[in-house]
Amino acid sequence: MINVAACNGCLTCALACAAAHSPSRDIVGAMADHTPPRIFIQAVRERAVPVTCRHCEEPACVEACMTGAMQKDPVSGLVSNEGHEQKCVGCWMCIMACPYGAVTAHPTERIAVKCDGCPHLDQPACVSACPNGALSWEEPDRFAARKGRRTAAALLEERAG
Amino acid sequence: MIIGNSAAGVKAAETLRGLDPAAAITMVSDEPESAYSRCLLPDFLAGRQTSDSLRIRPADFYARHRIDFLAGRCVLKVDPRSARVVLEDGQTIPYDRLLIATGARSVTPPVPGLAGPRVTGLRTLADARRILELAPKARRVLVIGAGFVGLEVAYALYNRGLEVTVVEKMPQILPGQFDATAAAILRRDMQAEGMRVILGAGVKEVAEPSVFRRFFDRTGRVVFLDNGDRLKADLIIVAAGIRPNVGIVEGTGVAVKRGIVVDDFLQATLPGIYAAGDVVETRDLVTGRVGLTPIWPNAVTQGKVAAWNMAGRPRPYTGSVGMQNALEFREVPSIAMGVTQGGEGLEVVAEERPHESVYRKLVLRGNVLVGMILVGDITGAGVMAALIRRQADVGKYRDDILQGRFGYGKLLAGIGKAG
Repeated sequence: MINVAACNGCLTCALACAAAHSPSRDIVGAMADHTPPRIFIQAVRERAVPVTCRHCEEPACVEACMTGAMQKDPVSGLVSNEGHEQKCVGCWMCIMACPYGAVTAHPTERIAVKCDGCPHLDQPACVSACPNGALSWEEPDRFAARKGRRTAAALLEERAG
Repeated sequence: MIIGNSAAGVKAAETLRGLDPAAAITMVSDEPESAYSRCLLPDFLAGRQTSDSLRIRPADFYARHRIDFLAGRCVLKVDPRSARVVLEDGQTIPYDRLLIATGARSVTPPVPGLAGPRVTGLRTLADARRILELAPKARRVLVIGAGFVGLEVAYALYNRGLEVTVVEKMPQILPGQFDATAAAILRRDMQAEGMRVILGAGVKEVAEPSVFRRFFDRTGRVVFLDNGDRLKADLIIVAAGIRPNVGIVEGTGVAVKRGIVVDDFLQATLPGIYAAGDVVETRDLVTGRVGLTPIWPNAVTQGKVAAWNMAGRPRPYTGSVGMQNALEFREVPSIAMGVTQGGEGLEVVAEERPHESVYRKLVLRGNVLVGMILVGDITGAGVMAALIRRQADVGKYRDDILQGRFGYGKLLAGIGKAG
């Protein structure tokens, strides 16, 4: 989830993302080997807005993929074009299909790059790195429960006040 | 029952299995292979893919989804009265719901002499294998048609060391997709590479080599163009367009115009029969015209939607943009979508940086984005594409779009503000 209001555009998420996806696993290595970030901070009327993959229920990128590399994992729900039998060839159909602009072309290799949800970590690197609490990552049920509790608390306070 | 084993058929089978764990699913295909990516056949020709890596699903796809897969079997016809599909070998298979996802085939123009073993299209893995068999004995290749397939084959065979000439009737390459400016950038790239491109000319006749030349084992054929040119070719690839495979429903009462006619739920004009993919006609979101939309993503989406309807869960097909293509020859990535040429009532904004091979063009109708061409710099393509697909009112962002300062973040912020 992205809480746009909390983002101040510090780009820590993008750096953490690049580091987490660099073979070196650190930011200096990521800069040296040109690992691109998979989360983007868009500047909109002097405000910062983080944009990344939503791991959609019916992903347009998966339907557009002509090699079968882009898949939605039936268990985790994560959408990724990496780690499968079918390989990405960089045809860019997913880039054209994604309505969020969350898939990009790798700067040096012919392969599409997108958020993979950091399956090798407990939670995505961008979420762990965000100092402002603008990014969160949880199951829909838990998110709903948390939001429900907050609403309940607000209601109670309203009544008390 | 699904006839066809490519983008639409495979997606439909997979979706059906997800929606209905109990249904008996049969797939039949005239090709013997597991589903593979036709779009990657040029890469296969170039040696960048093997027949295994062309597969779009794991080898155990059919078993895992409990699909009875009849590979390499031809369908003779559909018999709606008995609700059966008749195979060429005489077997008949009953169906409750039928999906026709038979795709299309490449068309060979009626040119005298344009036939024989050294003339082929590139539509199937078998075509590709035939080309690879002929390529080592060939020196000169002629590609007829400078559309996507033609150019991809041209690059692939050029990279195998063959001399390639592309002949195109229209005055530019990629006439169906790009405008003259974009086409010129891409053609420069081709010619810089060393390929020959002949525009505004058609093939008039193909002649066999003379007895004398054959005696010296020079089997190259002579190709006469309608502009008076004459060239030689050992191998001719025909990439002059496609035609839907509708033969199996002829005379059944299933309406066919250019492709199979379907309603909003992808059902053909007879109950229980659905169609998806290159064989079907649908309404284009941008132009509003009904026609073929023969590209991979549209076929997949149609396969998915057809499966929902076949499973008894009505879901309308919301339409798609027929023309959307991404390509990258050498190092210039390009994307074209929707209406790419200007016209009456259309406003065109373009930015050109020829020395960097960059060209970006947007076509607007009033406040609605209806098309784009991005060459060399394809950032933001997806967001633009979504705006085209949704026919969204972009009035508020017009200036940003025109100046290339537009991303999904703008929309988010806009929505946030409105709320």
